[in-house]
Amino acid sequence: MARRRHFSTPVNSMDAVFGRPVAHNRVAVPKQIRYRTPAVVALAIALGVAGLLALASGAIPVSLGDLVNPANELERAVLVEIRAPRVLLAGCVGAALALSGAALQGLFRNPLADPGLIGVSSGAALGASVMIVLGGGMAIASVVAPYVVPLAAIAGALLVTWFLYLFSARYGQFSIVTIVLVGIATNALAGVGIGVLQYLSDDAGLRTLTFWMMGSFGRATWPTATPAVFLMVAAAVPILLVARNLDLLQLGEAEAMYMGVDVRRLKRGVVLSSAAAVGAGVALVGIVGFVGLVVPHLVRLAIGAGHRHLLPGAALLGATLTILADTLARTAASPAEIPVSLVTSALGAPFFLWLIARERPR
Amino acid sequence: MTLCARNVTLELGAKRVLSDASLEVVPGQVTALVGPNGAGKSSLVRLLCGEIAPDRGSVCAGGLSLEHLDVRDQARLRSVVSQSVAMAFDFYVDEVLAMGWIPDPAEPADYDVARSEVVEQCQIGHLLGRKFKTLSGGERQCVQFARALLQIWRDASGGGVDVRYMLLDEPTANLDLGHEALVLGLARSTASGNVGVLVVLHDIDMAAAFADRVVLLVEGTVAARGSPGDVLTSELLSRVYQTPVRVEWHEGLGRLVVLR
Repeated sequence: MARRRHFSTPVNSMDAVFGRPVAHNRVAVPKQIRYRTPAVVALAIALGVAGLLALASGAIPVSLGDLVNPANELERAVLVEIRAPRVLLAGCVGAALALSGAALQGLFRNPLADPGLIGVSSGAALGASVMIVLGGGMAIASVVAPYVVPLAAIAGALLVTWFLYLFSARYGQFSIVTIVLVGIATNALAGVGIGVLQYLSDDAGLRTLTFWMMGSFGRATWPTATPAVFLMVAAAVPILLVARNLDLLQLGEAEAMYMGVDVRRLKRGVVLSSAAAVGAGVALVGIVGFVGLVVPHLVRLAIGAGHRHLLPGAALLGATLTILADTLARTAASPAEIPVSLVTSALGAPFFLWLIARERPR
Repeated sequence: MTLCARNVTLELGAKRVLSDASLEVVPGQVTALVGPNGAGKSSLVRLLCGEIAPDRGSVCAGGLSLEHLDVRDQARLRSVVSQSVAMAFDFYVDEVLAMGWIPDPAEPADYDVARSEVVEQCQIGHLLGRKFKTLSGGERQCVQFARALLQIWRDASGGGVDVRYMLLDEPTANLDLGHEALVLGLARSTASGNVGVLVVLHDIDMAAAFADRVVLLVEGTVAARGSPGDVLTSELLSRVYQTPVRVEWHEGLGRLVVLR
């Protein structure tokens, strides 16, 4: 065999990569990427500002100075007992929805995977309805009582998310629009379940169910908000921890495995955590639409798709926008209150149309 | 120390995809896996990746069965470049590159050093600030290659003695001549650093140009293996591909060329 000569390539040597050290310059990080962390910090500051604004505004306006040191007992009661739990709950639900939206979009590798659109929120609503209507007849210890409806909602959300995952695994990855069609079917099924429950329930149960379905942060008090907030935070932590693995999953499931990701464990974790985050919120405030769709996209447009910045960014922006939407809902027609889902849907639905136009195959 | 499949048999459904096939990826060499469509090339690569397990036979890295290595250890041992990857979201090239980096708490290596070296070797510095989706097919494969290189990068102070592997499943599908030569040239120079490179190729002429060893897979069994001069003969290739193929020595290029 004669000597072999290879095509010449622009590559000089691999010495630097494999073995012998070679003098080299550090390659600079592009500026588009360098400002991701400051952008997340800016979102955190915005959340703080929105929170203060929400605490200060309402039927009884409180000046910013009085937030720290209320002028009288009435102001103190309004701030501590009414507005603080409400703002906290609005922030947590918004963060949970946006975070789950971002995580589900990463999991399904589909920009339209919104907990509301694909039926996860409806599943949660169905689970919660079951307990609201039928739970009255059960003997439940008072210690666990505040967790019963949230846990039922989480179970419902989990059922739907798991079903969607199995469905997409069995019949191939969802195309961008198919997931919404499957969502329509899932939402319809959940609607049937809720309809049956309405039909079955007695007068008192029906009243509770109807009020709950309208969705509002208005019923937030410390005893009801605390368990939900606890569950949402517990669900958010594991999602934030798998940011890198969600990045790798974007190259494909096999590729993620080649890069050392335990894909099955990742899927299980994301399905469970996002269902828990959505379920805990829905159990208390009903369905708040489009937050999980709009917010992750805004963050992606601003700072890119990398999950290590996208996930915290989405949580912060979700909290900020939901707090502002709720503040608008309770002050725009004060003393009457607009349902908050009306505000988020009014802003979110047009955005959804724009997204469909943008994502269509060209 | 090799990555090898020993007498592997694989059945997918009722179909026997591989029967009693053996293949060895040797560090420092480029092994080309060639064969007609449906010969089981990709299945063999998936076995070597540890993605699927054989029905019979074993896949070993350095004498240790892959089943005994967890996915993370496997990832530090070998990287994979598959055919073009479609991404749903608009990642920056620098972010895609960073996906290849596996932080190891036990052995903190400097990411900046590794990244800079890999970027320089693959000459993708000008692409880092662009969105991955806006790249051409050739540019994407270069980025994927760089990503895979980063995955098995080792600190120079270690002397680069660690044996590692790189598996490329038709990395040049849909690439023009220039990018094809670029990617395979990168694979070639990667092998010189104690890395065993396996590359699945459709173009037998490319195998003649770039490979140290060639394995010819036909209907799930190894029909021939050895140096390109031994395996790539007019008679064998014509029979296997059922079309006249000529293999000639080209004086100007100084290598075998495969003509059709």
